[in-house]
Amino acid sequence: MARTSIAVVFAGSGGSGAMSAGAVLLRAAAHAGYYGLMTQLFGAQVRGGESASLVQVSIDPIESQPDRYDLFVALDWEKVEQFAAEIPLDEASVIIADPQAGTVPAGIAKSKGRVVPVSMSDPAATKLERGVQGRRVNMFAAGLVGALVGLNPSDLQAAAEAVFSDKGADIIAANAKGAAAGIAAAATLTLNARLDPPKPAARWLISGNQAIALGALRGGVRFVGCYPITPATDLVEWLAPHLTALGGRLVLGEDELASVNMTLGAAYGGTPAMTVTAGPGFSLMVETLGLAVAAEVPFVLVDVMRAGPSTGIASKTEQSDVNLAIYGAHGDAPRVVMAPISVADCITTAEYAVYVAESLQTPVIVLSDQALGQATTVIDPSDKRPPPLKRRLNGVAPATPFKRYAIGTDPVTPMPLPGTPGFEWVAEGLTHNEAGLPASGAGAHVAQINKRAKKIARFDPGPYWGETWGEGDTVVLAFGSTIGPAREAARRLAASGHQVRIVALRVLSPVPMEALARALSGARRIIVVEQNHGAQLYHHLIGQKAIPPSAESVARPGPLPFRPSEIASYVV
Amino acid sequence: MTDTLTQSTTAEPHCVYAAKDFSSGAHPVWCPGCGDYGVLASLERALAKHGRPPHEVVMVSGIGCSSRLPGYMSTYGFHGVHGRGLAVGTGLKLTRPDLEVIVVGGDGDGYSIGGNHFIHACRRNVDMLYVVMDNRVYGMTKGQPSPTTEPDWDSEIAPGGIGLRPFNPLAVAIASGANYVARGFSGDPNGLADLIVDAIRWPGFAFIEVLSPCVTFRPEQMHWKKMVRPSSLSIEQDRAAATALVLGDDGFSLGVLYRGDRAPVAPPIKPQISVADVEREFALRA
Ligand SMILES: Cc1ncc(C[n+]2csc(CCOP(=O)(O)OP(=O)(O)O)c2C)c(N)n1
Ligand code: SF4
Ligand SMILES: [Mg+2]
Repeated sequence: MARTSIAVVFAGSGGSGAMSAGAVLLRAAAHAGYYGLMTQLFGAQVRGGESASLVQVSIDPIESQPDRYDLFVALDWEKVEQFAAEIPLDEASVIIADPQAGTVPAGIAKSKGRVVPVSMSDPAATKLERGVQGRRVNMFAAGLVGALVGLNPSDLQAAAEAVFSDKGADIIAANAKGAAAGIAAAATLTLNARLDPPKPAARWLISGNQAIALGALRGGVRFVGCYPITPATDLVEWLAPHLTALGGRLVLGEDELASVNMTLGAAYGGTPAMTVTAGPGFSLMVETLGLAVAAEVPFVLVDVMRAGPSTGIASKTEQSDVNLAIYGAHGDAPRVVMAPISVADCITTAEYAVYVAESLQTPVIVLSDQALGQATTVIDPSDKRPPPLKRRLNGVAPATPFKRYAIGTDPVTPMPLPGTPGFEWVAEGLTHNEAGLPASGAGAHVAQINKRAKKIARFDPGPYWGETWGEGDTVVLAFGSTIGPAREAARRLAASGHQVRIVALRVLSPVPMEALARALSGARRIIVVEQNHGAQLYHHLIGQKAIPPSAESVARPGPLPFRPSEIASYVV
Repeated sequence: MTDTLTQSTTAEPHCVYAAKDFSSGAHPVWCPGCGDYGVLASLERALAKHGRPPHEVVMVSGIGCSSRLPGYMSTYGFHGVHGRGLAVGTGLKLTRPDLEVIVVGGDGDGYSIGGNHFIHACRRNVDMLYVVMDNRVYGMTKGQPSPTTEPDWDSEIAPGGIGLRPFNPLAVAIASGANYVARGFSGDPNGLADLIVDAIRWPGFAFIEVLSPCVTFRPEQMHWKKMVRPSSLSIEQDRAAATALVLGDDGFSLGVLYRGDRAPVAPPIKPQISVADVEREFALRA
C-alpha cells in the first residue's frame, strides 16, 4: 500500500552525521516535488554530542511535528536512548539498525517497533574511503531511506552533493559511494515506505530563522546588532554575509545591551534596524526597549523563544516569553508584539514588523520560537507582501526648538533624520516636553504617555491581525509553532465529523479586538493553546476581555512540541 | 601632529560657525561652578572651529549630570540609558558615516555600568569621539564613589573610603586599542577645545578623559586647577611605552597621550546583490 507521508528519524552519536543524513533526504525529496519538514534534536554536549534529525516527507504541506515516527534509523546506539521521549515510536514503527552496532537499547525497544537489521558499513570500501568516512554510515542511511520512499538515485546524489558542497572532492566521492550502497541495499528490503507520487511546483526550502531574516531584508532592514544565542544564532549567521552583500551591516556586539543599543543608534540614523536574540538576551534588552518606547525610535526585536526561565534549555522550544514581550519594562511602555503563523509566514510577519515599527516609531517584537526557527521546510512561496509603510520623516516646517514630540491629533509625529538642517532634536528617554527637553512636571509626563499609548491603541493591523480556518463553533486559538499542530488536529477531527475552527493570532499585542471578535463570533467553546506553564497568552486575552471567562486554557511548558493528537484529544 | 600619520579624510571646512551656533540655549541643570560647563563650552568652540554645521553633528550620551549635555547643544542628539551611549553611537556611525558622532558621559556611566562598552569601543575603532567628564564620583545620585574615586574618599555609602584601586581609563583605552587618547581639563576650555578638534579629525576611535570637577560632592576638586600641567608624555604608535607612561603618571598631565595608526572600521560596501538574488537561493528545481 502506498502512503502520502512518512516520518523518519536518523539518530546517532556526535560525528555520526545524523543531521547531514536528514538534510540529504529532505533536499532530495524537496527536489522531487515533495513537501518536507526537518527538525533537529541535540544532546547536552557543545560539540560531538549525540543528535537526531527528524524528517517528514509528504505529498501535502507539513506544518507540524508528527504524533509518531514510521522509521527510526540508528547510525549507532550510543546514548541515543536519551531522545526516546522526544521520538514517539510504536509497534508500527520500523527500526533500522546495523547488528554490528549492538543490541537495540531498552528505551527504543520498548516501543515494540519491528527491528530490521541492515549491514550499513561498506565491506568494499577502500582504505582511503574508510579514512575519509570513518565509521560513518550516514550517507548509506540517507540513500537507503531515500530509495525506500521511492526517490530516484540522481536526486539523492544531487542532494548529497549540495549538502556537502563546501567539502573536498574526496569526501563528496566517498559520500556518493555510501549513498549508492544504501540505494542498492534498499532493493533487498520489503518495507511499506514508498510514497505516492508528489505534486511538484516551484517551491522553496527554507528554515523559520532564514525566513525571518529574509522578511526583514524585504522590509528594508540594513543593520543588525546581535550577540550569539541559541536558537537564534543560525539566523544571524545566515544573515551576516547577505546583509553585507546588500550594503548593510551586521555587528556582533559585546553583549545584548550593546547589540540592542547599536540597533537603536542605527535606527535613529534612519536605517531600519533589527536585533535578534532568545530569552536570556531579551531579558538584558528590556531597559532599552523602554528607551525606544519613550524616545520613539523604531526597531524590530526578534526573540526566537527557547525553554526558560534563566538559561533553561538552550536548544529546545517553548512559548514562555509572552509576558516579557508584551509587558516587560518598567513604566508604561506599550509596544507591538507579533508572532509568525508558520515557517512560511515568518517572511510575512518579519517584513510586516519592520513596516509597523517604522510607521509607528515604536519597537516591534517578533516572537518566534525554536520549533519554527529551526524547522527547515518546503514552502510554497507567496508573492503577497504587506504594503510597505514608511517612517514619517517630514511634513512640518523647520523650527527652533523643533517639536519632535509635538502633541496634536496625530500621535505619530515627524522624525527628521539627523543631517537635516533646521530640525535638530534629541532622542530623549527622560520624560520630556514637546521639544524633547527633559521635564518632570505632570503635564508633560501625562501628555507624552498618552501620545505613545494612542499610537499603539490606534494601530490597526487590518488583515494582518491573524488568520482563521474552519467554521466549527469550537475554536482553538493559538500562536506561533502551536498553530501547525492545532491545524493538523482540526483536519483530523474534521475527517471524523468534528468541525473545529482555528484562530491564529499574529498580533498578540495590542490585541486586535474587533478582528478577533469577528473571528470568534458564534463560538460556543474557545480553547487557548500555548506552550508555557503560566497560560501567559490566555491571561493576556482574558485581561483585555478579548475572550470570555468561560474560555478554556491548555497551557503546558516545552520543550516537547505539541502533537496534533494531544490537541485533538483535548478538544473531543 | 606628525606627517607620518594620516588625517581624517574630511576636507578642512570653512570656519563659518561661532561657538554660540552650537548652543541650544536651554538652561543646564548643573550646579553653579560644575566642571561640565567648561566641557560644554569647549565642545561648542571646538565644533565651531571644526566647521561642520550643527545638523551634521550628533551628540550621544548615557545618564548622569554630564550625560545631560546633548540637550544643551543645537545639534542632533540621543540621550539614552545609563552606560550605553557608546553602543548607540557605534550603531549610528556605522550606518551614517556622513555624520559627526560624539559620545559624552561621566565616569560612572562610562567606566562602571558602561565599562564593557568602553573596552569594546576602543577595540572596534569606529571613527568617533568619546568624551568622559570624570569627576571621580556619581554626581547625579548625590555622591557615591565611582571607579575612578580615590580609595580613601569618605562617603555616606562607603565611610572611610571604598578601599579599591582606581580604574585607569587611559591605560585601559590604550590597551584596548583606542586610536587616540588624551586628557583634558574643564578649567582650560581653550586647550580642551583644541584637543577636541584634533581628536575629531584623527581617524578611528578617539577618547578624551576630561577632569571635570564636581563642586558639590567633591569640592576639593576645585584645587585641580593647581595640579594639572601640560603633558610631556605624547607617544605615537608604541602602545607599551604609552601604557607605561600613563600608569606612572599622577593623572594630572594634560594633552595628547597616545596616537595610533589603526585604520578605522570601513563603511558598509555598495550593494552587490538584490533581495531577489537572496530569494533565489531558496528556490528548488520546479
Ligand atoms: C540602570 C541604572 N542604574 C542606576 C541609575 C542611577 N544613576 C543615574 S546617574 C548615575 C551615576 C552617574 O555618574 P556619572 O556617570 O559619573 O555622572 P555624573 O553625574 O557624575 O556626571 C546613576 C548610578 C540609572 N539611571 N540607571
Ligand atoms: S552634582 Fe556635581 S557633577 Fe552634578 S551638576 Fe552638580 S557639580 Fe556637576
Ligand atoms: Mg561622575
